[in-house]
Amino acid sequence: MDALRDFTAELDTDIHSDDPGGDRDFPLMPVGQAVDMGQAPDGTPLLDPRVLHSREFFRNPYPYYRIMRDHYPCFHDKLHNTYYVTRYEDVWRCYFDDEGFNTIPKGSSSGVLGNTQLELSGVEHRRRRNLYGQHLVGRSLDLRVPSIQRLARQMIDDWDDMLDSGYVFDDGRKRIVELGMAFANEFPVRVVCEVLGFPNEARKQFFYWYNSMMSGLGGSALQKQGLEARQSLEDYVQEIVEERRRKPSYLKDEDGNVIGKDIITKLCETRVDGDYLSTEEITSNIALVVAAGGETTRGAIVNMWYLLLQHPEQFAAVCADTENWNRAFHETLRNSSPIGGQPRHNSHDLEMHGVHVPAGSLMQMVDFSANHDDRVFKDPEKFDIFRPDLYSGKLLRSGYSKEGRCSHMAFGVGPHLCPGAWISHQEAVEGSRILQQRLKNVRIVEDRMAKDIDGKSLAPIGIVRVPALWLEFDRP
Amino acid sequence: MSEAENLVVGANGVAVPHFEHSGEGYRSYEVHQRERVGQSTEKINGAQLASADYAANPYPYLQILRENYPCYRDWINNCYWVTGYDDVTSIFTDEANFETRPKLWYYGLQGFGRDLRNEMPVLWAWSKAMDGFAVPVAEQLIAGFGKGEADLARDFAVQYPIVLLGRMLEIPDDELGTFAVRYWRAQRGVLWYPQAQLAGRQALDELVRYFTPKLAAASDQETSVLAAVAAVGGSAADLVTTLLEADHQTLHGALANLWMNLLIEPVNFDHVKQDHMAMKIAYLETLRHSPPVITAERFARHEVERFGRLIPEGGLMRISALAANRDPRIFADGDRFDVDRRDICHREARGQYRADGLPQGIAFGLGRPSRHPAVPEDRPRSLYALTRDTAVAASWTLAQMLPDLRLRDGTTPVARCLRIGETYACWELPVRF
Ligand code: HEM
Repeated sequence: MDALRDFTAELDTDIHSDDPGGDRDFPLMPVGQAVDMGQAPDGTPLLDPRVLHSREFFRNPYPYYRIMRDHYPCFHDKLHNTYYVTRYEDVWRCYFDDEGFNTIPKGSSSGVLGNTQLELSGVEHRRRRNLYGQHLVGRSLDLRVPSIQRLARQMIDDWDDMLDSGYVFDDGRKRIVELGMAFANEFPVRVVCEVLGFPNEARKQFFYWYNSMMSGLGGSALQKQGLEARQSLEDYVQEIVEERRRKPSYLKDEDGNVIGKDIITKLCETRVDGDYLSTEEITSNIALVVAAGGETTRGAIVNMWYLLLQHPEQFAAVCADTENWNRAFHETLRNSSPIGGQPRHNSHDLEMHGVHVPAGSLMQMVDFSANHDDRVFKDPEKFDIFRPDLYSGKLLRSGYSKEGRCSHMAFGVGPHLCPGAWISHQEAVEGSRILQQRLKNVRIVEDRMAKDIDGKSLAPIGIVRVPALWLEFDRP
Repeated sequence: MSEAENLVVGANGVAVPHFEHSGEGYRSYEVHQRERVGQSTEKINGAQLASADYAANPYPYLQILRENYPCYRDWINNCYWVTGYDDVTSIFTDEANFETRPKLWYYGLQGFGRDLRNEMPVLWAWSKAMDGFAVPVAEQLIAGFGKGEADLARDFAVQYPIVLLGRMLEIPDDELGTFAVRYWRAQRGVLWYPQAQLAGRQALDELVRYFTPKLAAASDQETSVLAAVAAVGGSAADLVTTLLEADHQTLHGALANLWMNLLIEPVNFDHVKQDHMAMKIAYLETLRHSPPVITAERFARHEVERFGRLIPEGGLMRISALAANRDPRIFADGDRFDVDRRDICHREARGQYRADGLPQGIAFGLGRPSRHPAVPEDRPRSLYALTRDTAVAASWTLAQMLPDLRLRDGTTPVARCLRIGETYACWELPVRF
């Protein structure tokens, strides 16, 4: 119809648009710049929710989080039925309020890990929270630091036997290693394996369970393998649990003195609401500790070395004073945490920054973004272990925010604060101190590393963790 | 509470809102399911269900869901997919447990206006106007076709519902174009695409401004929708809200898909052009075979167990008419467009999705089957019946005026979504006559 000319013109454009939705190839931008997704008349940048699942976002997430923080502090992604909470203060407050923002069955972890404290809130959570927490902190952890150091030394000693593994080799006077495969992947898992009280001979098997369960999380295509691994872990744990129920076993320090019962024994003895934990629940707890303590700490170690070696003056500072490793650890977690954030469901209808959120909605707390909120951390994209606004002491459940310093959000805060924060800190720092002594004149082998879009500079970490870190140093 | 009272100044000097909640208790999800090895869902993943391929042809994906995972937990799009016929209808008729959220909610515009589709005078005027204009609008559009050829999707199916609305709302010809653009944008802005949201939001305001003086000057004719709106005290924003919530997708998509199905196999067209009743059955079969609204969203009002799963409060059920309507347990040879299909009901279903013991093709957008009598005395017939009669009248007019319609040589029309979540329709249907 003639009167509808304008309409049909618009319709034709829509019909011939080549962008029906679905994954879109967003162009890869220089780090720190967002793709232009259009603007509102008042200049507010628009945000296409598909960008959050794009390759561009995985390598260069921060400009997009900045758009959210500045313009959509509670962003409703209607395509993925999710609200994103991105400002430090908001994330912090929601984490604290575990009644208003409850935890939920997370991704397919419900199948792969089983029911764990991650998914509980309120009193049910508190009853289980402290079953074995004391092993991961305080005196019993202090007593175990020498064992952590021993494990690190052993792994490095083993490199001599790994020369044909493809991850360790010698090239003239230099030795080249891939830090992940040669060290960081397995080190935290070995530490956890010991504290749990797994027999030494189960170690190899343990690594399989760990790998398969990790890759089966989050609705991944490998969920089936994950579920199988979980089943196999449960079959194995069953025997150990039966054994430990009859006969407790103990963790010892390096001199053979008893520190206390290992975690599995603890779990076997624990009663909640008058009942002993079922083998199923114990397996879930084990699976959680393994999953929560492996990949995370690996990411922290590898990211930390990647960042430090790209800032030689800061690397020199940690070598000069090894106390600075503590700062490096926390600044790494702030700048490039291995965990992006945590899902919460709001228990009640609420209004946040003008957005109405009906009860039961998925609200994604974005730790990555909180850690880069320039309302709290100045010049947040910069890696600076000496930054004056970051607290790098022992982590507190209440978080820390005093005297112009704030803690990062990588371990969460509030009731679910990572109970492994302190042990992972010890692993990363003690492990790195030992590495630092052994790796003389260490540097990144740039030829072997992934590059950024210019084909020259090293790829940014983004939200993906450094997949492999090739180092070269003087041959021992 | 005012915005200012609702703010707390945080430790870093940043003002943040104070979240009030009633504190009436909550429940943590202690009792959620563990998936077992046999329950893994590796045949599909959520990303495929929001992909360009899905928009182009959702059917293969939905079939995987229906035949393997009756209630698929999609972690990427954060929803549960329900695809079997009986499951879909059970959710759709269960308003006690599952709520529909209005389009205004998707806009984040609660309180913008009132949906007047419960007001009897408005419904009466609406149905009378629709009946009155159904044939003239079709005739007018057909008269405007080019010489010997047209694109039925673009020149007829898309335009028909909008021009019809224009007539019903007494919009003069020279303003019809602007109205059409605004209406189209307002409908497309409901979903996730940011530019469309923005344009839609703007269009809503423009429509309110446009209708404000019209409403003030409304006549007092019995068939005037504007007069009925004014009579029940409705504002321009209420009228615009009603237009937004009212369905045009089904009318548009059904016309486009009906004609696609009729012309792909010319014997189908030959069959229906002789017989008004056959045209009606072809329309019903179109709603079954290629329903324009392929999925609808329902939200769990509270924690509820369904299909062996615990659905948490607020959980999003994405229920698929397209998948259900081809469920082999319900319809024989469901992929086939059978212009004379005998295993669907030919009468309007009442209350549930069946009549005469036979299932109905599920059509979202028209509300659940009405509980009122098919030909009620005290109220107009249902939206379902009204849409059906209008679509059939328009199609019948087309078939009588251009009895030698055929596809332009070398074209194979298909149905698809312009954007994920939008109408599943044939958008290009070039014909000769
Ligand atoms: C750098 C390394 C690590 C990071 C970044 C990290 C991060 C986190 C975060 C953010 C949470 C909070 C989850 C929530 O709020 O829902 C968490 C929970 C948890 N983490 Fe860690 N973690 C690390 C290492 C570890 C280690 C080494 C262990 C165990 C040995 C561990 C065990 C746990 C457990 C059991 C929980 C659940 C706590 C609860 O829900 O109450 N984590 N972790």
